[in-house]
Amino acid sequence: MAELEIAHVSKSFGDIEVLRDVNLQISSGEFVVFVGPSGCGKSTLLRMISGLEPVGRGEIRLDGAVINEVDPAQRGVAMVFQSYALYPHMSAFDNIAFSLKLARRPKPTIAEKVANAAGILRLEKLLARRPGALSGGQKQRVAIGRAIVREPKVFLFDEPLSNLDAELRVQMRAELMQLHDRLATTMIYVTHDQVEAMTLADKMVVMNGGVVQQCGRPLDLYDDPDNMFVAGFIGSPRMNFVKAAVIGRGPDNIALEGPGIGRMTLPFRGFDAATGTVHLGIRPQHVGLHVGDRDNAVVWTGRLAFAEELGDVTYVHGDLPSGERLVLRSSGGRYAGARDLAAVIDPKQVLLFDESGARLRPAIQ
Amino acid sequence: MSDTLVAHRPAISGWTLLKWAIALCAVVVAVFPIWWMVNVVFAPPGEPVSINPRLYPTSLGAGLEKIRVILAETDYLRAYYISLAYSLLTIGGVLLIGSMAAFEFALFDFPGKRLIFGVVMLSLMVPTAVTIVPTYLLTAKLGWLNTMQGLVVPGLASAFGLFMLVQFMKTLPREMLEAARLDGATHFQLYLYFALPLSRNALVTLAILTFMRTWGNFTWPLIVAPNPQIYTVGQVVGLFNSPYSHQTVDVVMTANLLAALPPLIFFLIFQRKIVEGIAMSGSKG
Repeated sequence: MAELEIAHVSKSFGDIEVLRDVNLQISSGEFVVFVGPSGCGKSTLLRMISGLEPVGRGEIRLDGAVINEVDPAQRGVAMVFQSYALYPHMSAFDNIAFSLKLARRPKPTIAEKVANAAGILRLEKLLARRPGALSGGQKQRVAIGRAIVREPKVFLFDEPLSNLDAELRVQMRAELMQLHDRLATTMIYVTHDQVEAMTLADKMVVMNGGVVQQCGRPLDLYDDPDNMFVAGFIGSPRMNFVKAAVIGRGPDNIALEGPGIGRMTLPFRGFDAATGTVHLGIRPQHVGLHVGDRDNAVVWTGRLAFAEELGDVTYVHGDLPSGERLVLRSSGGRYAGARDLAAVIDPKQVLLFDESGARLRPAIQ
Repeated sequence: MSDTLVAHRPAISGWTLLKWAIALCAVVVAVFPIWWMVNVVFAPPGEPVSINPRLYPTSLGAGLEKIRVILAETDYLRAYYISLAYSLLTIGGVLLIGSMAAFEFALFDFPGKRLIFGVVMLSLMVPTAVTIVPTYLLTAKLGWLNTMQGLVVPGLASAFGLFMLVQFMKTLPREMLEAARLDGATHFQLYLYFALPLSRNALVTLAILTFMRTWGNFTWPLIVAPNPQIYTVGQVVGLFNSPYSHQTVDVVMTANLLAALPPLIFFLIFQRKIVEGIAMSGSKG
């Protein structure tokens, strides 16, 4: 159980700044997921916590003590690598026991700890095998076992499931959640897969371009993103974005006009008069096919590009007159080859962003 | 039915035949002298060169008797011991120094790494004939003439070995070494528990090459150890073959055969080790 604090941490490789002023507070026992596209600096941050990468500027504190200069092995962290990084010339038992052997622990203790870890991970029958004779999922479990026996204060996972096939990934994800419940240790997990991040995280840290974009509970980030990047990154299919000009402001609403959407009015309290152009963000499930004649509905029209029929839902992809892509979710119904699209949107679900991508939130009453 | 099977067999072309014929000629050229050596040793004296020569060994007893004579009546056994010590010490030293240096060069960064490695690699381009005199003078200055260290030490720095091991160790997965560091392995333990065992194939290959080189080395022992007490097998065989030697051909051949045996045995043992290999699939892929 340990509290981890990352304070004003930056890192550059030559001229390239990969992390910029990262500040994070990770509470004891939390499952934190760093998520972001490739090259966003999430793995570098994890490696700095592990000690494998020197900290550029700033401090990393574990339980209040600065660990910037502490040897990786002495930090009380254990890491599970994307490539498993097992020792190919040692059996699964020796892989798991290696750190204990180096620490000169008595043999009965080693056997007991390895047996305990193997029990948790259902590896008992595989302990004599070498990594070459294990499947991907088994190798990953051995790698996790190697981390467990060290009884670390913080577990670090660097994209541990990305080499597994889809089915096994779902299974291992469930196992990781159970493992976290069982060990109740702080875990930091890096992934580029937002589904993994949403399902595993107590706290999700969305990163892009070396900067923490937003940090919080997964559903909070989903419902209330701080900027267009977070709004677009979380959720699949991604949120629709449409550009519009503000043509009128009332106390409780604004009037918008755009090439893709025509004219429309949105409820919005206390709109900043200085903002002239906005991006509207709306998730596919809040856009529907326009059927019948609902007079008050806000309808956007365009050309239908293609439909993804997944059985339970159908995602209809269309192009607005402005060329912007609009994805909507329709449950049930079969695509009959129509070319014209009339989408009805729910104005209450529309999020507004300014031109720089930052979220515009209505004033609280 | 058999017709269709025959139709699928690749036709033997004239080119294939020619290739096989050339290959067989090469084998005969390579193997015949060795076969002739065995033939001469394991036959009554004179028989293989008589008017009615035999192309196969006829007498095991005659061969064993010649071997007994050589081992008992000459200093061949001592030369064997010297050569073996010379070879094994050189192998041990080359592997130890080469693997340690390669570990650093392949897996870590330090100031001047590229320059130093470049200088070592440059030495590959300098022929032995150029360095042999300065090396001799240095060895003499150290008082190492006619000593085992005089034989062994100058051969320990193997630029080729370093190059080979560096190339091999560069392929070791970095994440595995990082995992070991997190597990608490010290720098030396990384070398001992990972670099060494995982480079086993390269080390065995280097050991074989080094053995062949040292066992067959004639020039360096000849100039640095002129004392008969420290003659290697190569030098002793040289004596058997010398113009004023009174040995007959079959005894000379026996000496040659005894000299050729250890490399043959060494190769046969370790060739299997190379093929065996070790499971190298701890990482993905």
